[in-house]
Amino acid sequence: MFGGLWQDIRYGARMLLKSPTYTAIAVAALALSIGANTAVFTAANALLLRPLPVENIDRLIVPVTLREGFDPFGSPFLEYAAYRDRAHCLASSGIARALSFNLTGRGEAQRIRGASVTAGYLSTLGTKPVLGRTFLDAEDRPGGPRVALISYALWQKHFGGNADVVTQSLVLDGRSYNIVGVMPPGFDLPGMADVWIPLQTNIDSLPLTERAATTNTIIARLRPGVSLGQADAELKAIARQLEQEYPAFRRGWTVKAVSLRQDLLGDLEGRVHRALFALMAAVAFLLLICCANVANLQLARGVARERELVLRRALGAAPWRIVRQLLAENILLSVIGGIAGLLLGQWLLPILASLNPIQGISLAAFFHDFSIDRRVLIFVLCVTVFTGVAFGLLPALKGAGAHELMPRIRQGDQHTGRVAGRGWLKGLIVAEIAIALTVLICGGLMVQSFQRLQHVALGFTPDNLLTTKMVLPASKYPEYRQRVAFADNVLERALSLPGVVSAGLTTNIPLERETAYDAIFDVEGRPPHNPNDVPITSHRIVSPGYMETLGITLMRGRLVNQNDRADTSPVVVVSEEFARQAWPGSDAIGKRVRRIRAGQDFPWMTVVGVVKNVKEDLFNYRINRPVWYVPYAQVENDFPLNLVLRTRVDPTSLSAAVRDVVRAIDPDQPVSNVMTMNAILSKVLVTERFGAVLMGTLAISGLVLASIGLYGVMAYSVKQRTGEIGLRVALGAQRKHVFALFMGEGVRLTFFGLTIGLAMAWAATGLLTSLLFETPASDPATFVAISLLLVSIALLACFLPARRALSVDPIIALRAE
Amino acid sequence: MNNGSDPLIRLNSVTKVFLTDEVETHALSGIHLDIRPGEYVSIAGPSGCGKTTLLSILGLLDTPSDGSYSLKGHEVANLSFADRARIRNREIGFIFQSFNLIGDLTVFENVELPLTYRGMGASERKTFVTQALERVGMAHRAKHLPSQLSGGQQQRVAVARALAGRPAILLADEPTGNLDSRNGEAVMQLLKELHESGATICMVTHDERFAQHADRTVHLFDGRVVEDRIAA
Repeated sequence: MFGGLWQDIRYGARMLLKSPTYTAIAVAALALSIGANTAVFTAANALLLRPLPVENIDRLIVPVTLREGFDPFGSPFLEYAAYRDRAHCLASSGIARALSFNLTGRGEAQRIRGASVTAGYLSTLGTKPVLGRTFLDAEDRPGGPRVALISYALWQKHFGGNADVVTQSLVLDGRSYNIVGVMPPGFDLPGMADVWIPLQTNIDSLPLTERAATTNTIIARLRPGVSLGQADAELKAIARQLEQEYPAFRRGWTVKAVSLRQDLLGDLEGRVHRALFALMAAVAFLLLICCANVANLQLARGVARERELVLRRALGAAPWRIVRQLLAENILLSVIGGIAGLLLGQWLLPILASLNPIQGISLAAFFHDFSIDRRVLIFVLCVTVFTGVAFGLLPALKGAGAHELMPRIRQGDQHTGRVAGRGWLKGLIVAEIAIALTVLICGGLMVQSFQRLQHVALGFTPDNLLTTKMVLPASKYPEYRQRVAFADNVLERALSLPGVVSAGLTTNIPLERETAYDAIFDVEGRPPHNPNDVPITSHRIVSPGYMETLGITLMRGRLVNQNDRADTSPVVVVSEEFARQAWPGSDAIGKRVRRIRAGQDFPWMTVVGVVKNVKEDLFNYRINRPVWYVPYAQVENDFPLNLVLRTRVDPTSLSAAVRDVVRAIDPDQPVSNVMTMNAILSKVLVTERFGAVLMGTLAISGLVLASIGLYGVMAYSVKQRTGEIGLRVALGAQRKHVFALFMGEGVRLTFFGLTIGLAMAWAATGLLTSLLFETPASDPATFVAISLLLVSIALLACFLPARRALSVDPIIALRAE
Repeated sequence: MNNGSDPLIRLNSVTKVFLTDEVETHALSGIHLDIRPGEYVSIAGPSGCGKTTLLSILGLLDTPSDGSYSLKGHEVANLSFADRARIRNREIGFIFQSFNLIGDLTVFENVELPLTYRGMGASERKTFVTQALERVGMAHRAKHLPSQLSGGQQQRVAVARALAGRPAILLADEPTGNLDSRNGEAVMQLLKELHESGATICMVTHDERFAQHADRTVHLFDGRVVEDRIAA
């Protein structure tokens, strides 16, 4: 049965070489679609499928603490203890607190990320060190020894990868820790940690305020047979119990159990999953368009080769033999296209990686590794074979099924224009147009949504801003006045730098990916109507000059200034949204608000100014969250300090000078995250940009492929109907008649495809609703504009062959006939 | 049959030269030819002698390189594409060797096609088409597709299409070339009947038997008229 397979393949290769133009077009189309599929699958593989350095990741969950039902926070010890003691769905659990340390004694002082973890945290993850051991239970008790685990990267960088590192020590925040182990490459949970120390805390004996602080990360492993949904339900029930037991601390808080991978992707709402799913669907559509295109070419060639196939049938070839021969030829073509696609995919990957929707997360070494691995190769192979069969089977079956052998051998068709297979060609082109329209509309909506997100009013001017972060260690700055003095000193020196227009300090850079601080507030004389309401504001502690530096617009009153000191009356500047929520319909100036927190008493603050709304929190980018600004000198805190400079020169040119300013004040004080505000903003919409750019590119590719397909079919139609054109001209047809004949056919196909495509797009865009911002899924403007675009391109694709039809010489055409 | 009236067609010193790369081919050289209304002329000659080129020029599908061509007393040699198409549509009916019916159109629609290009109204077209089909005995097959007809029937439909617009002259290019002898004879008989009812016919053929059906035979050789013989 397979005896002549090699012969078929050789013959197929000869046929492909014989038609280099056809082969080049087909390989290019296949390479484009298989390359796009390869690239997008590689991204999906890196983000969703690739194994991570933890044991059986599918059974690991993270209970994410949510405020207002959607705003993710760290988890409190209170929750951890409750889950540990009450949950039946969990086999084990652990808790960790992300920290940062000043690493000294190993070259220049450096700020590094770390974590204090319970022994159960690492054992629950199941990650084994490459050197040494993890923490013993005895080391995780109050008063236990100072021991540390270090990351593989830190081991390589500071210890040269020497195995005797487990006999050495590390100085963190001025304290010496014995190194007991080195974690595997890429492992940095939680919070991109480079160093781990034992928590050494008796959680149950901590004061309630500390147990309720939402500053930790819980990891848990599900018991066998327990689903994520069941765990989520049980943990939610426990969270409700906690709300009843500790109403002052837990009111308004809930929990959501998500898989570890989803948590690592920062994808609580499943946006990355949906974006990747949409992209996978789009590239699959692209592949279908490509298959239709190549099938069209095949059918067109099949018509031209019909006599050859019929002759083979007449010489005794069984239908199966013809199918096999044509399939061998087609799969050979798809394999060439697959190899080209793989190369194209390889070329596209760095571009895709630069658009990676996942930024600054743990295990980035794995999530950012957009390389082609075995799984991707298997995928490409499957796609290639599928493509070859998909586009080749129909022409092969048609070729094998020819009847009425003798009349065809004698070329007995003594009439013009009736070409077998043209119905299929038309059907495929209608399908191509319909699919292209669907992908185009989906892409158009995502691009539009992205543009709207990009044009959200920030409330500040991001150009020419340089930011930098400083974490002042409590060991060196135990008193708040020392921190204030440091801040004043940094500001004074920064302002004297050439090229600096203004400067300010804040506890949070707007829209940064670090922890953003917020607060529950209380309005004097206006208790909430519903005691369960927890009015929340972004909590920004700022120096004088910060708001001016950022370019925030003052609407009424004044901004924070030098007179707002520790010994003066507490003041606050609020955003318009804050004022609207706190004092609807009345002037906020002179009114009083205060922060509330169980177990703590905060002073009333008088509103001295109202500013335009500012996008302070990344997570609340899509909504208008209230913001308040309180003077740094008046609110004791141990939050990181962020210096913001507005420059009249390229802000990056001042990076070194800023480091020198800090080093001049405190040589041991590390400086991190020196970057422009625009660089921060570029990371804000990474998921949306990823989706919009790729979807837009795929949509345009689909449009190009469909146009090429339509052009090909029309050009083929003109070629096949040359005799008919000559005849019509001989019968008196004017140029306009011939032109209308072909344009009319193209227009009919286009509008038929358009009608089906609109229905498909209507259904498909419904699935995009959750990915769109201020853009309705059935946006009529998008539907109309994209339809007009497609019709224009399609008409152009028809116009060129139709114009060529006008140049047909009737004498030659009739002679050929 | 020469009735002594003004010629319907007059070719005067018509020359056709084809240029291919650097080769110059003289397909026709100094052709003088008059065809009068009601004449049945056959153009004969060996393969490559210029018969089809001459027919193409007569049918306004091609233009002469030199010389003049008047149709119904009007010079038509150097008209625009659109004007030639208009005159071709109204004054000339073509019958081809390979029938050249459009496979996607029914018999009725094929015959109707040249009338459509003329801008004729639907009811008038129907009348003209029906009359033409009845004249060739194919009215009963009006709704059939060409592929459902025999070769002889297809050629009769082609003749009906040529007749339908009531042209001044019928140009037939080897009308029996793709037919067996029986069907060939039937088509020749049909042309003869048309001629007898007043049609002017100019037929290209290399078959002496069929050439004899005409009143007058023009022999071409190497692009020149070597004999112009009127039947006894």
